[in-house]
Amino acid sequence: MIKDITLGQYFPGNTILHRLDPRGKIILTILYIVVIFFAKNLWSFAAVIASAVFLTIISRISPKTLLKSMKPLIFVLAFTTFFNVFWTEGEVLLVKFWIIEIYLEGIIFAVMMIIRISALLVGTTIILTYTTSPIMLTDGLEQLLAPLRKIKLPVHEFSMMMTIALRFIPTLIEETDKIMSAQKARGADFTSGSLAKRAKALVPVLIPLFISAFRRADELATAMECRCYRGGEGRTRMNILHYSGRDTLAFIIMILFGAALILLNQIPSAISL
Amino acid sequence: MTEIELKNVSYIYSPDTPFRKVALDNVSLNIHGGVITGLMGHTGSGKSTLVSLLNGLNRPTSGQVLVGGEDVWADPKQVHRFAFKVGLVFQYPEYQLFEETVRRDISFGPRNMGLDEAEIARRVDEAASFCGLSPELLDKSPFDLSGGQKRRAAIAGVMAMEPEVLVLDEPAAGLDPRGREEILGGIRSYQRMRGSSVVIVSHSMEDMARYSDEIIVMDHAKVKMQGTTAEIFARADELKSVGLSVPQITELMNRIRERGIPVRGGIYTVEDARDELLRLISERRGRR
Amino acid sequence: MNDPFIKIEDLNFSYTDEEGNEARVLHGFNLEIERGSLVAVLGHNGSGKSTLAKLLNMILMPQSGRIVVDGLDITSPDLTEDQLFENRRNVGMVFQNPDNQLVATIVEEDIAFGPENLGIEPKEIRRRVNDALAAVGMTEFARHSPHQLSGGQKQRIAIAGIIAMLPKCIIFDESTAMLDPRGRAEVMQTILRLNREMGITVLHITHFMNEAAMCDRVVVINDGEIALDGRPQEVFCHVAELQEIGLDVPQTAELMYELNLSGVRDGEGRELPLSCLTVDECADELCRLIDSL
Repeated sequence: MIKDITLGQYFPGNTILHRLDPRGKIILTILYIVVIFFAKNLWSFAAVIASAVFLTIISRISPKTLLKSMKPLIFVLAFTTFFNVFWTEGEVLLVKFWIIEIYLEGIIFAVMMIIRISALLVGTTIILTYTTSPIMLTDGLEQLLAPLRKIKLPVHEFSMMMTIALRFIPTLIEETDKIMSAQKARGADFTSGSLAKRAKALVPVLIPLFISAFRRADELATAMECRCYRGGEGRTRMNILHYSGRDTLAFIIMILFGAALILLNQIPSAISL
Repeated sequence: MTEIELKNVSYIYSPDTPFRKVALDNVSLNIHGGVITGLMGHTGSGKSTLVSLLNGLNRPTSGQVLVGGEDVWADPKQVHRFAFKVGLVFQYPEYQLFEETVRRDISFGPRNMGLDEAEIARRVDEAASFCGLSPELLDKSPFDLSGGQKRRAAIAGVMAMEPEVLVLDEPAAGLDPRGREEILGGIRSYQRMRGSSVVIVSHSMEDMARYSDEIIVMDHAKVKMQGTTAEIFARADELKSVGLSVPQITELMNRIRERGIPVRGGIYTVEDARDELLRLISERRGRR
Repeated sequence: MNDPFIKIEDLNFSYTDEEGNEARVLHGFNLEIERGSLVAVLGHNGSGKSTLAKLLNMILMPQSGRIVVDGLDITSPDLTEDQLFENRRNVGMVFQNPDNQLVATIVEEDIAFGPENLGIEPKEIRRRVNDALAAVGMTEFARHSPHQLSGGQKQRIAIAGIIAMLPKCIIFDESTAMLDPRGRAEVMQTILRLNREMGITVLHITHFMNEAAMCDRVVVINDGEIALDGRPQEVFCHVAELQEIGLDVPQTAELMYELNLSGVRDGEGRELPLSCLTVDECADELCRLIDSL
């Protein structure tokens, strides 16, 4: 059922990661992605793995949940592994069979790629989505982008849209489920037949869904007007984002981590890229 | 007159997760054929889950659902047949309308059954008339109808499939008294004419008192009470213990009896109360 | 009523559909609502009662007539935008569908939405949010997501969102119609508390007569006109008129009316009173009648 899809997953908690300023976290995430690409040899890759483990531990998110979240990535990982293993040419030939040649370098490269992508995913989800409530994330984004208002970009409107979308995603998923059940009860068949036939079978779901979404939008707009909404002008916020000592600390750690990777790259290693 | 039988049915949402919730707990039940059965209980008592098992929409975690003696899940590939045997009308069904005209929308179900055009037309007309939709409304867009008419068009869409059992989840929710009467009255005349089986899920004691022949009361994933409407409303204290009330008129008659006036129990409509009081009054006058 | 909170004079409103047909909703409509009162507006669907609510908040504009709310003529052509928003703050609205009026993904953020729009200091918003949550008895749900709540709880959050703007009046536009009996009771309790304890003027639009019976005054609207107006005991005496309009009456009143029709009279040959709205009042009357025989 569609209900099982989890979007914008957030695990409420009170760890140091949860308490960081969302604005800082957005920048930290970008930094982490960049820094990971510094890693070049065995030692620095070991440090990358260590960093991912470290983040998992301090976030108190169960490794099982993390592994589950990586499921959709298996295809991407398999795909890159396949190309790296079969298309990388190197010096140490391991297997030669018909036109297939597998080199040691290819395998090393593939493994490092897997580590990089996994760390990337673990880092971004833990720092950002798993430990930051969607609303904090939107707030952080709105404030980071605030300077763009000067060039007339609708930053507030954009963040309002994000908030409303997040609010209504569960509602609309539930609604889709309901309408599908109702049409199934009238004999609609969504699972058999050609692709074209199946697409056509969705019409009785999509039309009511769109009509309902418009009706909801209309009612919500009226309700917002009644609650004195008149755009971002003159609006205050209940929660003010606080940049504090621990945010500075997080930045220092991130920079030291980047520096460490560059230093580790200098250590001679049997395996490197 | 198709009966529905549940044998030791349990239904568990999200098993093996922290969100595990038992919605039906080993329920065994007979829903009698040829009558209107009211299914009552407050939100979360399991009645909506029960309804979703009747036409094969959900599969019970354990136990059997039998429709007219046939096990719904005997052959999972054939389960869709039961959607036509047990017509299910969901809450706020007007939100499932999608066709260009009311007629085409009502014929969506019959068409999916593979009926020929003449038969479809006959069924659409009949269902529309049960639901009080005049012929000129049938060529309008369903989105131009009033709220109550939309609701009735959606119900007609399931009636037109001529199911052996018609199940409606809160068909009158959110309507004003006249709208409620139009819908429930239409359902009753459909049931009386066709002699089929009807199950109505409802929160309204007054509506169920007026329209149902038998009542099933659910509480905490189990069947708490089952009986004829008069039997159920005679057990006012039990109804209150599961957070349901009795109609005001029943309460009034019970109060009068408590004060030593010998009116009979199990009265749940204003007409019955009036007749009982008139009987009592003329009896006393006659004695004097 | 020297100082009515709402004063509507000779109001006309009609819709024009796509084909240019005009449908009159309210015509020559007059109504005064007393400060601090709890008034039920009863009527069937399409009677014009929801239009009235939207007019009081200037979501719709009347064709003619005058509406004065808390001393402010909101139909005046000179009404400034600030005055318009001041009126919206002062007269809050709670709608029918609980899902379609909550904006944020967290309960307390949603309640803060109104005060945030008014540009109130963060500390003061926090204080108001906490007060509003307490007023509707939802404090423990402050950090929940709205879609985890029941219908009645969502409506209470919507109410809290309005209270946080410190209005003098709240209009409930069929806010109980989509709820189950438990949710309806929750919302009704909240409404009564707002009116009795916080002195908020309440206009409760509904088609549930048992809810109307709990109010100080019942105004029955039919075809854009006031059909009946008075205390619940007075209004529900008009059993025949109400049934004609398509509304319910309490079963106790209906029974007394039916007995009267059947020719039952009390010891002095009078008709039975229709004004008993509660089981106890009605049982008293009937016992007295039967014992006198």
